[in-house]
Amino acid sequence: MRWEVFRQEKKKDYHVHVGDVHAPNAEMAKQYAQVMHARRKPANSLWVVPKESIETVEADDHDVAMGGLTQREYRWATNYNTGEMAEEIQESEAEQVEAERERKKAAGDQ
Amino acid sequence: MAPLDIATVKARAGPREFGPGDDMPEEYRRAATRMIQFHANSEIMGAYIERPYIRQAPSLDRKLAVSAQVQDEIGHGQLLYRAAENLGIKTREQMLDELANGEGKFLNCFHYPINSWYELPMIMFFVDGAAMRRQATLKRTSWEPYAHAIDKICFEEGFHIKHGEDILREIASGSSHDRELLQEAFEKWWPRILQFFGPTNDQSVHGGFAMDVGLKTMTNDDLRTAFLNAYLPKAEKYGLEIPDTPHVEYDAEADRYEVAEEDLDWEEFGEVARNEDPTGAEQINKRHRRQAAVEWVREAIVDDSPGVGTTSAAAD
Repeated sequence: MRWEVFRQEKKKDYHVHVGDVHAPNAEMAKQYAQVMHARRKPANSLWVVPKESIETVEADDHDVAMGGLTQREYRWATNYNTGEMAEEIQESEAEQVEAERERKKAAGDQ
Repeated sequence: MAPLDIATVKARAGPREFGPGDDMPEEYRRAATRMIQFHANSEIMGAYIERPYIRQAPSLDRKLAVSAQVQDEIGHGQLLYRAAENLGIKTREQMLDELANGEGKFLNCFHYPINSWYELPMIMFFVDGAAMRRQATLKRTSWEPYAHAIDKICFEEGFHIKHGEDILREIASGSSHDRELLQEAFEKWWPRILQFFGPTNDQSVHGGFAMDVGLKTMTNDDLRTAFLNAYLPKAEKYGLEIPDTPHVEYDAEADRYEVAEEDLDWEEFGEVARNEDPTGAEQINKRHRRQAAVEWVREAIVDDSPGVGTTSAAAD
């Protein structure tokens, strides 16, 4: 039985997928996950999830539109020029710029 | 094992300190539920007052952007109900029912309908800006699932406020008639916006405990001052005149804005807060009717998709 493993490096971080293990039950999956995915990398917590419990949606699949097919410039902060903003708005915009950069990079990699 | 005692919770209180793995005392769980449910309700009700402007938007770009914003806000509500549900006090169904039947509390400004396009930036820029000021401080809340929801909310909210300011800028650079109507809208909403952070000198019943256990990280007074610091110059930039009453004055020594309490209608604020105001009741009724109208969708999802489960039942 296959189990997907998610590792949280430090307390308060998000759990991130790091790989999988084969194990006959949850108890063993937790043991293997520790050995295979937390022995050398820092780990504060691990999740193990049965592979068959995970549902997937692929960007290439028919009828799938991750974030839509049309241009959606209007829903990004960068689309509006309003001069200097409150600090928390600037931060939000910076996060969006970063996300947009990653999205373009991912599209370029394909 | 007994839950953590309050003294331990207060001693450990810090950013993202507690999560579903911690056995939190009931007092903490109730306070966090109250706060997050209020926030979630406000996202939903904020979406409802903006929603008519998808239809009434003056251009296709605006229509698309307002539509995206309303969709985001419903999504924020969903995230927050999930974060609240984790506390084990109320289920999401309970919270949605409470909102629809008038028991659920939400932000004062969302009890009033928006009556014209000129009023829209009062919500989309000033009120959302005030909400964003508060939300930014909640990235450091002690209930981790709440902080996670806030991460995504703050990520999206930058677009909302900039779009709101863009509408404000467009109207403000229009004809003198446009600017007159904008000023009228501002004067109508300004007192409500000043009341957004509640009474000054924080007489809030729940604020002290929420601060002590790290759920809140900034007092309402400090939030109001931070908001006014950032947004008063914006109002002036677009040629809006700040009304003399309610009187707002900057106290340089204390580095804070003083708002003249006696100039604001606290009776109305109280009625609004208790869901007793007639216009607010109509907003709640809209939500009630909408929830009933899509009941069949929720039932269809639960009945026919065993793999999906009840948590995907949409708020709308």
